[in-house]
Amino acid sequence: MPCAATLFRKPAVGAPSRRTRLSWLLVAPLLLLVVAGFLVPIGYTMTRAVDNAEVTGALPRTVAMLERWDGNGLPSEQAFAALVEDLRGADDAQAFGAMTRRLNFELSGARSVMRATRRQLDSLTPPYAESLPTAVPDWDTPQLWLLIKTNSNPFTASFLLRALDLQVTPEGQIEPVPHDRAIFVDLFQRTFWISLWVTVFCVLLAYPAAYYISTLSDRGARYVMLLVLVPFWTSILVRTTAWFILLQREGPMNAALEGLHITDAPLQLIFTRFAVYVAMVHVLLPFQILPLYSVMKRLGPQYLQAAASLGASPWRQFRSVYLPLTMPGVAAGAVMVFMLSVGFYVTPALVGGLQDQMISYYIAFYTNQSINFGMAAALSLLLLVFTGALVAAARRLTPHIGPGPRE
Amino acid sequence: MKKAIKVALMAAVSLGLPGAAVARDLTIVGFGGGYQDSARETLFKGFAEATGIAVLDDVYNGEMAKIYGMVETGNVSWDVIMVEAPELVRGCEDGVFARIDYDVIDKSKFIAGSATDCGVGGTGWGAAMFYDQARHPVGPATFAQFWDLEGFPGMRAMRQGPKMTLEAALMADGVSMDQVYDVLSTDAGVDRAFAKLDEIKDHVIWWKSGAQPLQLVGSGEADYAFGYTGRIIRAQGEGRAYALNWNTLLYSIDSWAVVAGSPKRAEAMSMIDYITDAGPLRAQAALWPISPANKEVNADPALQEANPGMVLNHAEEGLFINTEFWIEHGDALEARFTAWAAQ
Repeated sequence: MPCAATLFRKPAVGAPSRRTRLSWLLVAPLLLLVVAGFLVPIGYTMTRAVDNAEVTGALPRTVAMLERWDGNGLPSEQAFAALVEDLRGADDAQAFGAMTRRLNFELSGARSVMRATRRQLDSLTPPYAESLPTAVPDWDTPQLWLLIKTNSNPFTASFLLRALDLQVTPEGQIEPVPHDRAIFVDLFQRTFWISLWVTVFCVLLAYPAAYYISTLSDRGARYVMLLVLVPFWTSILVRTTAWFILLQREGPMNAALEGLHITDAPLQLIFTRFAVYVAMVHVLLPFQILPLYSVMKRLGPQYLQAAASLGASPWRQFRSVYLPLTMPGVAAGAVMVFMLSVGFYVTPALVGGLQDQMISYYIAFYTNQSINFGMAAALSLLLLVFTGALVAAARRLTPHIGPGPRE
Repeated sequence: MKKAIKVALMAAVSLGLPGAAVARDLTIVGFGGGYQDSARETLFKGFAEATGIAVLDDVYNGEMAKIYGMVETGNVSWDVIMVEAPELVRGCEDGVFARIDYDVIDKSKFIAGSATDCGVGGTGWGAAMFYDQARHPVGPATFAQFWDLEGFPGMRAMRQGPKMTLEAALMADGVSMDQVYDVLSTDAGVDRAFAKLDEIKDHVIWWKSGAQPLQLVGSGEADYAFGYTGRIIRAQGEGRAYALNWNTLLYSIDSWAVVAGSPKRAEAMSMIDYITDAGPLRAQAALWPISPANKEVNADPALQEANPGMVLNHAEEGLFINTEFWIEHGDALEARFTAWAAQ
C-alpha cells in the first residue's frame, strides 16, 4: 500500500499523473468539508469583526459630502442637505436601524438623535444648516458629524479595540474605555485562568486513573473503561444539569455534608466558581484519560523492570522513565482539555454566577441579545488568536505537546 | 462576493433546518409559562377551530437577535410574536415588524395607547417581590428591606439586565416612585443605582426566564426574589405560601406584533384580531390571571373580582415601566450592566 508521502509526491513536470488526480479525488470530500464547514464560515465571521458597511449603506450622500469636510467646525450646507435627503429617502428601515445601532455603539445617545431627526424631517426647510440644528440641537456640534465621517470607512478597528477595552475618540485617538465599561481584558484573563486550572485538575485526576486502568487485565480494563466512556457519551448538557441538581442548596451534596456533620448550614455551592471547576473537570476528564491510557497501555511493564534492574528506586523509576515516556499522553490530553475549556459556554452558564462566565458567554450575549455581530466576531477572533498563540507557545516550551514533528 | 458567501451560508444553515422553507403552520411565539399554556387552550385553539388554520406555538426569552436574523435573511419562520414595549417600538423603527392592518383588527377595542403602528396590546404583566412563607414567616415588604442583608439574610433572585433592576435599586435607596425615571435619566442617578446594587451584588442570583425565580424560591436556592406576578399567583393557587408584595410592582403591557416578511401576514393579522377579542379573553381569564389590554375585558368588574391579581388593577401601587426611557437608554445601560455584573 502506498503511504501518504508517495501519494502526494511531486508530480513529474508536465501533465499531472493519473495518480495525483486520483489522490486529489480521494481527499476532495474532506477538503470540501473543511472549506465549506470550517474555513468559509469562520472566515466570514472574522470579516464581520472589521466590517463597517452600516453607515455608508444608510447615508451614502452624507458620507460623500463629508469626505470634503476637514473635520473643523461644522460641515457645509451641502452635507446638512445630504443628511436630510438620506434620511428622507430611508425607505429601508432595516438599513436605517443598523446604522443607528452602529452609531449608538460608538456614541451612546446617537440613536435617539437619529430618531428625533427623522421625526422632525417634515418640518425642515432649507437652508438645513440652520433648520436642522434648531430642530435637533445635537447637529450643532461637530461630534456626530465626526462620528459619521470616521465610520464612512468600509472597515473599522473599533470592535477589535473594544474587545481589548480600548476605544477611538471622535478625534481619532485610541484610549482605554471608562472603568465601568472595561470588561473584556478581565474576561480573557478569567477564561484562560479557569481553563488552565481545569487542565491542571484534569491531568492530576486522570494520570492515576489512566495508570490504574492500564494495569488491569483486558477484561477488567474494559469494564472500568466503561465508567469513563459512558459519561463521555452522555451529552454535556445532561452532565452539567446533574451537577446543578447535586450542588443545590437543598441538594444531595449539602445534605451529605450536613448528615456527616461536616457543615451545620447549607453551603452556597451552585452559582460559584467552585461549581464551574467541578462540572468542567467532570465533563472534560475523559479527554485526558483516553490519550493517557492509550500511551500507558502501549508502554508495557518492561521499561520499569529495566529501570528497577538497574537499581532505580520506585520514585526514580517514575520520574526518570515512566513520566517522560507518558508525557506525550499528558500533553495531547492537556492541549485538548485546554482548547475545549477555552470555548466552554453551557457549563459555566448553568452552574456559575455572572462573575464566573467565560468569554463564550459574552459572544453569545452579543449574538443573541444585543444583536452586535461585530462585537461577537471581534471577541471570537481574539479568542482564536490568543488560544492559538498560547498553544503554540506551549508547544515550543514543551517539545512533546501535540502531534509535533517527533520520530 | 459577500452576498454570494451569505447565500451559501444561508443554504448551509437551512440544510440543517429541514422544512424551514417549506409549508409550515401559522406560528405564534410568546414567553411561555402558564400564560402561554392558558392562551394555547383558549386563544390559539379557539382561533384554529374558528378558522381552520392550523396554529403552532413556540417560546422565546425576548431575545430580538433571532427576529432580526430572520428578517435580514428573509427566512421568517415566526409569524405572530409577543414583545415587550421598548422592543416593539425599536423593532418597528428598524423594520422587523410589519404594520398592523387596522382594517382587519378593530382598533377601538384596546385601552388607550396600546394600539400602535406595529403592535397591539396583548396583556399587562408585572414583576414583584415574593418569598416563601413556609421558609420565612416574615420577609422583606419593601425595596429597602429587600436590600437589607442584615435584617433579611439570604440569597436574592433578580432578573438579569438593567430593566427593573435599576428602578428597584433607586427605590431601595429612597427615591420615590414618581421620581425614579427623573433620577435615572441623569449620570449621577445611574451611578447611584449601581452603587446600591453593589451592596447586594454577592447575594444575587440572576435569572433569565420567568420560570426560574419560581424554581429558585421553590427549591430554597433563593430566599427572596423578583418574579412575574402571574406565575406567583398561579403558584399560590397550587398551594404555595408565597407572599407577594404589590407595593414592589413594576408593570408594563406586552404587545402582539407580526414579523416583517412573514409569508402568513394576513392570517397573522386575523389571528391577532381574534386573540384580542373579548370572548376568547374571557375564556382565558378563567384559566390564568390575565390583564388584557382589551378595554371591555379589562374593565369588567366581575373579572376584576375573580382575578384579584390582574396587574392593571394594581396600577396605583406599582411603577409603570417607562418605555421611552428604555428606548433611549437601553443600549447604554445594558452595556454598563453587563460590565458591572462581570466585574
